[in-house]
Amino acid sequence: MMSQIANRLLISIPVLFGVLVLGFGLLILVPGDPAIVMAGPTASPDVVAAVREEMGLDEPVVVQFFSYLGRVLQGDLGRSLISNKTVLSELLAAIGPTAELMFACLIWSVPLGIALGTLAAVFRGGLIDRAIMAFSVAGVSLPIFFICLMMIQFFGVKWQLLPFIGRGGPLWTVEGLRHIALPALSLGAIFIGPVARMTRSSVLEVLKLDHVRTARAKGLSETRVILRHGLRNALIPVITLIGLQAGYLVGGAVVTESIFSYPGIGRLAVGAILSSDFPLAQGAILILALGFILINLIVDILYALLDPRVQT
Amino acid sequence: MTAAQDSGATKVGPDTAAPTNRAGAGAGAEDQMDAPMPVRPWWQRLAQDPAALVAAAVLVIIVVCAIAAPLIAPHDPFASSRAVMQPPVWTDRGNWLHPMGTDGQGRDMLSRLFYGTRLTLIIGVVSVAVGGILGSLMGLMAAFRPALDPWVMRLVDVMLSFPAILLGLALVAVLGPGAGPVIVALAIATIPDCARIARSIAMSIMKQEYIEAGRALGLSNAALFSRYLLRNCISSIMIFISLRFGQIILIGAALSFLGLGARPPTAELGMMAAQGRDFLLFAPHIAVIPSVLIFVIVLSANVLGDALRDVLDPRLRS
Repeated sequence: MMSQIANRLLISIPVLFGVLVLGFGLLILVPGDPAIVMAGPTASPDVVAAVREEMGLDEPVVVQFFSYLGRVLQGDLGRSLISNKTVLSELLAAIGPTAELMFACLIWSVPLGIALGTLAAVFRGGLIDRAIMAFSVAGVSLPIFFICLMMIQFFGVKWQLLPFIGRGGPLWTVEGLRHIALPALSLGAIFIGPVARMTRSSVLEVLKLDHVRTARAKGLSETRVILRHGLRNALIPVITLIGLQAGYLVGGAVVTESIFSYPGIGRLAVGAILSSDFPLAQGAILILALGFILINLIVDILYALLDPRVQT
Repeated sequence: MTAAQDSGATKVGPDTAAPTNRAGAGAGAEDQMDAPMPVRPWWQRLAQDPAALVAAAVLVIIVVCAIAAPLIAPHDPFASSRAVMQPPVWTDRGNWLHPMGTDGQGRDMLSRLFYGTRLTLIIGVVSVAVGGILGSLMGLMAAFRPALDPWVMRLVDVMLSFPAILLGLALVAVLGPGAGPVIVALAIATIPDCARIARSIAMSIMKQEYIEAGRALGLSNAALFSRYLLRNCISSIMIFISLRFGQIILIGAALSFLGLGARPPTAELGMMAAQGRDFLLFAPHIAVIPSVLIFVIVLSANVLGDALRDVLDPRLRS
């Protein structure tokens, strides 16, 4: 298992390198002269020259890349062109809310998806199964922004049950919970379908195995057979699915945060790109990519821990 | 090995089933001999699935409308009128001049929907086709030339680590918003999954005896690749790509919704939904109709893709 984890960490290195090349590219390939972009359109030629020197733009690209690497490793991601705050401080302020949103999304959608998937497997071929599967196909076909807009329309505007703009505070406060409810419901809605589908096929697979037959032969109740012997073993593929879906989670968070004006990394990234704030866009994309790599790493390690067969 | 690779490997085990030989010249005879009864052609089996039939019909109608947009659009999609935010015909204040109503600038929704569907479909089809072809070639080459395999698979691992939407954000940041960068991003995002699935399908075919027989006959590598390998893989790969199509459309629409895709005044369904966002309270149809249309397109594509897979190639079922 340790070698599995070590192997996984080794694969992360070229990926991290790729992410850094991407971040560097974002700063260098901007339309026009990066020094003028950094200094701002109204800067005098002296200032532009100073910025060019400071950024090392007159050096060869390879040298520039390594000095960029050095700066990133020290946490220096530059300054936002618009707020003039350091990119790092902007990111640090946004990372908590995004993590909260992802947590709030997974905490309700994954258990619900697993429950629905198990129900569908138990009543295989019946009405419940077909209804749940139809629901999950419909769920993966819905544009996330449509779910968000409908949440705003009904829960926010029509029935005025929940706020739909911004963040109310940390997750453990009442206002924080009220504000995160609609974004988390919207983001979670796209997650239920895939989890339910995967749980269903995985439970069906496990219920065919010998140990389940033995459990039934022992005279265990059907509930106990399904929960203790079926579902427990079926959850491993579901965990990998969450890793595979991490891309949708990150992408969905970008859309959800933008629509609900939720102050997370996703909204920061979209706002920075739309206002040509390249250093901030670079930082936000770097952090999102890192988050994605981290989620996948955690999932793979969990997978190795839970499934003894991976060790061989 | 990454989680992604693991699940790819379980999806299509190299020796789970015989290859699909519908297109394979002469190679299918053996498999068909031990089949207990003659298998009906795939379109007959597909026709027994009512959901698939409905989905296919809906998709055909939508595609025809999108292609014929300039011929059937009742109004100029860019021309504003004084009838701003007029509701669709099925509401009290609607009329047949604008069957789907008008948007915030008084433009005819129906005409914009035709043109918007066209652009949305073009973005989806072009990126899935380009990414699918490149990815499949990578996967096939990896299986055909084992020396290339580790390099291709490492590249695929790295590519899998970039979610499509992030790639889109990065490209748009550099190139500026537009349909072009979105297509490039979505095409790149399609490559790794296609490469993985094409590789595992091709690996199972490379083990077949007819490949060896072809080699023994002294066929050139090019002939072996195109006539023996490619022809036997292509239908499975096509089905997989069709299953990805819906997801790609959704990501493209989301990027456009955020203002990072197609630029105004062009009509694109995601962008149209975004423009309706500000009028949600007074004229919900401006945002709802394009969103529902995206939903219908993606749902039909998913239902049809699932049905095609079950009929043509159950091996791909995960």
